Amino acid sequence: MSLVAEAFVSQIAAAEPWPENATLYQQLKGEQILLSDNAASLAVQAFLQMCNLPIKVVCRANAEYMSPSGKVPFIHVGNQVVSELGPIVQFVKAKGHSLSDGLDEVQKAEMKAYMELVNNMLLTAELYLQWCDEATVGEITHARYGSPYPWPLNHILAYQKQWEVKRKMKAIGWGNKTLDQVLEDVDQCCQALSQRLGTQPYFFNKQPTELDALVFGHLYTILTTQLTNDELSEKVKNYSNLLAFCRRIEQHYFEDRGKVGV
Amino acid sequence: MAAPLELSCWGGGWGLPSVHSESLVVMAYAKFSGAPLKVNVIDNTWRGSRGDVPILTTEDNIVSQPAKILNFLRKQKYNADYELSAKQGADTLAYIALIEEKLLPAVLHTFWVESDNYLTVTKPWFASRIPFPLSLILPGRMSKGALNRILLTRGEPPLYHLREVEAQIYRDAKECLNLLSNRLGKSQFFFGDTPSTLDAYVFGFLAPLYKVRFPKVQLQEHLKQLSNLCRFCDDILNSYFRLSLGGISPAGQEMVDANLQKLTQLVNKESNLIEKMDDNLRQSPQLPPRKLPTLKLTPAEEESNSLQRLSP
Repeated sequence: MSLVAEAFVSQIAAAEPWPENATLYQQLKGEQILLSDNAASLAVQAFLQMCNLPIKVVCRANAEYMSPSGKVPFIHVGNQVVSELGPIVQFVKAKGHSLSDGLDEVQKAEMKAYMELVNNMLLTAELYLQWCDEATVGEITHARYGSPYPWPLNHILAYQKQWEVKRKMKAIGWGNKTLDQVLEDVDQCCQALSQRLGTQPYFFNKQPTELDALVFGHLYTILTTQLTNDELSEKVKNYSNLLAFCRRIEQHYFEDRGKVGV
Repeated sequence: MAAPLELSCWGGGWGLPSVHSESLVVMAYAKFSGAPLKVNVIDNTWRGSRGDVPILTTEDNIVSQPAKILNFLRKQKYNADYELSAKQGADTLAYIALIEEKLLPAVLHTFWVESDNYLTVTKPWFASRIPFPLSLILPGRMSKGALNRILLTRGEPPLYHLREVEAQIYRDAKECLNLLSNRLGKSQFFFGDTPSTLDAYVFGFLAPLYKVRFPKVQLQEHLKQLSNLCRFCDDILNSYFRLSLGGISPAGQEMVDANLQKLTQLVNKESNLIEKMDDNLRQSPQLPPRKLPTLKLTPAEEESNSLQRLSP
């Protein structure tokens, strides 16, 4: 969106309060959704729970195509549609709810930097594992991605998506990485997150922020998704404070409210 | 470690040891950690490869890509992060990710995609350092690679249109520069008084943006307003790269000499002119002072004067 359009949208957003019937769209939970999309969706759900905003999760097979930017999840609030965690955080801020207002400038810079770290390393590693690792692709991804569609559409869509992701990996220099190198990167990222978290309950001590939501989304999904091998979740399990962190957020924001996390 | 370490990378200009961001990162890290690096600048002979620059060659290894080179140097005990705490090490990773995601697309765009900049500055500079006929092909390929990277990581499928992405990437880059400036504050380096990996990365990406002269300078102007980042780059250049500047960029030194010559010539010419005027004034003192007021008249007034004389 151009700058003018975005300013216009935030003004409209600021005008109305959060409605009761806000919905979040993602792909079909049981058969279709993949690891990376599930992580993103869970991150947004966690963020909205932390802001105390009610949201209903709706699963649609064509959620990816409905989204304005092509990425899931997206939320439908009032008569606006916003996709991806970054723009959703800004949208929610325009409506007057924010988790990071109490941070000073340096902390905000740190928060943004760590969010980019998660996107850069964890998300890219998840995409690599799903689409560039032949074993996973063959057994899980292809079957899941095209499952709502009839033959031959399911194969065509899956191959098209795989080609797109491989192009992106090559452009950012991950094309030549082996699976072991990718897992090492994941380990480095988890180590950095674990060191930053330390013994605190959340990343910025007492209050959760969007960084906590994002990290929770990714780590919880990695820990609870069944893949061809368990190496990815083993890397995360090495860090006990990250496990405790996930458990804490799950208990506080998902189980207590009577909702199931994944 | 006594093994000779050779780095081949792109050369320098505009006061920098190298114009290529990744090469500069490696050079800065080597200076900070005290690694004895022999720098081979790529020139337009056929010697050496120019594919995955920067490349570090030792007796038995060839390492490419800045992250891997830095890891290799650390394993060889050249570690600039020795005094950092665990949390600071984690911060380093996070800020490097921030720079790569938010700042790099806009830097790539300024250097390689913005057509004014690319055609007048980047392409001639790189083409002059690549042997013919590769010089016709390679810059174009690098430009396409940069455009590809920007579109694939920031563009929205299925359109992949550049115009929609441009505004967004420059906005992100300006925000990233602001965040870096906030984080640096008044301290000399990012983590106290000694430079570390993060300083090398920030310097590597900011210095070319700061120093290279471009026609379209949107991002450069923004950077120049953040005085602590400019001071950071200048400090590193002066303390770590000043001694080698004389050796590495003789072209720069010649340019300075040429400019000095031109300036001296101009000054001489001016002083000659002043002497001549002085002589003229001395030789003709009988110029009637009455002539001077008429010289001050504008043409319109002169005309009206002559008209008045005509009318009875």
